[in-house]
Amino acid sequence: MSARDALARYADLAVVAFGLALVPLFAGDSPYYLRIATLALVYMAWTVAFNLIFGHTKQLFLCLGALAGSAAYVSVVLAKELQLSPWVTIPIGAGAATLLGALFSYVSVLRGLGVIFLGIVTLAFSLIFHNAVLGLRQLTNGETGLVTRGLGFALLEQPKPGYYVFLVLLMLSLVAYCVLMSSRTGMAFRALSDDELTAELAGIDVTWHKVLAAAVGSGILGLVGAFYAFYNGIVSPSVFSFVGVDIPVLIALLLGGMRTRLGPVLGAAAFALIEELVRPFGQLNVLVYGILLIVLFTAFREGLVAMLRKVFRGSGPRRDRA
Amino acid sequence: MIAILFDGIVQGLQLSLLAVGITLIYGLGGVLNLAHGQFAVFGGVCAALLLAQGVHAVPASLGGIAAAGALGVVVDRTLLLPAYRYRGEERLLLGLILTLGLSFVIDGTLNYRFPHFSLTLHVPLQSVTIAGIPMRTAGLATSLIAILVFAALFAFLRWTLLGKAIRSIIENEVGAELCGIDPARTRTFIVGLAAMMAGLAGVAQGLFSSLGTEMGPEFTILGLLVAVVGGVRSVNGTLAAGVLLGIVNAFASHYIGAYIAFIILLSAAMATILVRPQGLLAHGT
Repeated sequence: MSARDALARYADLAVVAFGLALVPLFAGDSPYYLRIATLALVYMAWTVAFNLIFGHTKQLFLCLGALAGSAAYVSVVLAKELQLSPWVTIPIGAGAATLLGALFSYVSVLRGLGVIFLGIVTLAFSLIFHNAVLGLRQLTNGETGLVTRGLGFALLEQPKPGYYVFLVLLMLSLVAYCVLMSSRTGMAFRALSDDELTAELAGIDVTWHKVLAAAVGSGILGLVGAFYAFYNGIVSPSVFSFVGVDIPVLIALLLGGMRTRLGPVLGAAAFALIEELVRPFGQLNVLVYGILLIVLFTAFREGLVAMLRKVFRGSGPRRDRA
Repeated sequence: MIAILFDGIVQGLQLSLLAVGITLIYGLGGVLNLAHGQFAVFGGVCAALLLAQGVHAVPASLGGIAAAGALGVVVDRTLLLPAYRYRGEERLLLGLILTLGLSFVIDGTLNYRFPHFSLTLHVPLQSVTIAGIPMRTAGLATSLIAILVFAALFAFLRWTLLGKAIRSIIENEVGAELCGIDPARTRTFIVGLAAMMAGLAGVAQGLFSSLGTEMGPEFTILGLLVAVVGGVRSVNGTLAAGVLLGIVNAFASHYIGAYIAFIILLSAAMATILVRPQGLLAHGT
């Protein structure tokens, strides 16, 4: 691939990176808005990961928060108990999440679990994670959580550098996603998301590809989750709860559009906006999540990216489908 | 010791009431209802509202149960229609997400409208002694009601024409349709019935201890676990699994602590899914 091809292929990513890099300038010195923007980056990266797991290989993981949380707790507890540097413990945490995700995927393929049963198994894991954190009080400090400030990650404790760390993480996830999707692996993902049996008959190793997607996705979830724990200053079960992570990510993915490159970024940004709008109403955010889920899944299944594409195709010059 | 066993059975029967609804809706409609616990809470809240109006406890409870049933029928006729347009895996997925959304809508509304709500029904007699064992009347009453409801359900499914039609749809939806059974109407009936049983479980929770608006997710999860362990298409399996898990939970939380007990419960459910996806009592698929 020549340099120009590469540029054309990744032009949209460059635009996104540039646009997001400018955000702190607009946020000015308000730590509040910068924090919201950083959170949006975290959710974007998580949604990219979920797109890989659920969008492309149809594995309904309902344990995103638990996976990210496992990585976070592993790295924080290791850093605390053994006085290790976060640079050592974060990869360990992310590795643990990768292994867990791969294990769920492998077992589900092996046992031929459908979407639903995988959903229930992973939901059960979410609850196990939650109860384990509450039960292992001497390590995790239960509901109150652990303070992660001063554990050796000074960079993440300042608002602006923290933002750019997460921007780098998001771009890394997006590049990993694009590299995967433009290789033979991506072809295999597309084939097996259409019809697994046919893909298998065409000589695609369905098991390997599903496990790969789950492992890469869980790795991204864990990596970002562990960084987030150090950024957030505190790691507690409520940070990585089902309602706090899984539902927003699911909504963001549907909002942006499954199986699209920039859908997760747009969706998570839109979701951050919506959440900011309903924040004054307190408890009502759960109600809004519910309505969003229902409306999105019944009426709006293609997502923002498809809609934008239609708008641009309708007004601009017609292009052939790539 | 025996008191723990009794507690476990009472809780287990209540779980079975919830889970059997999930089983029926799944078997008949092909939708895994993630808002089932919220139906229970809705029933309980309606009963409490009636109580607050000065209605006597028994009609208030019946009113709550009826309200849950009505909610079930409405949900089946409106929200789930898009899901019913598909079949198989696609319907399951859409149904799962729609009911998940519904559960948030109900939770959000109830938490917002009644933030400090709790339903507690009082029974006139606190406890009775049967065969030398003191038992709380509330637990005894809820168990008796649950057993009666299950007996009625079994009789209904086994001996009435509608019950037979329901079992035939669970076996094979297309085949049943070819025999002249209308799956859509039967489905609405069953969702209403299942929601009423959930409402009963909610009211029973108010009778046994107390019911809060935040308990919906917990009910759903426990009901789901029981339904899965019992085999999501088998009614007797669900009853057995509910009582079994109730007893395990009561003993485990008494001797090892609630968190670990719940982890054991969840692991047991996970293992069941992995080893016998068709459920404990089911015979093949």
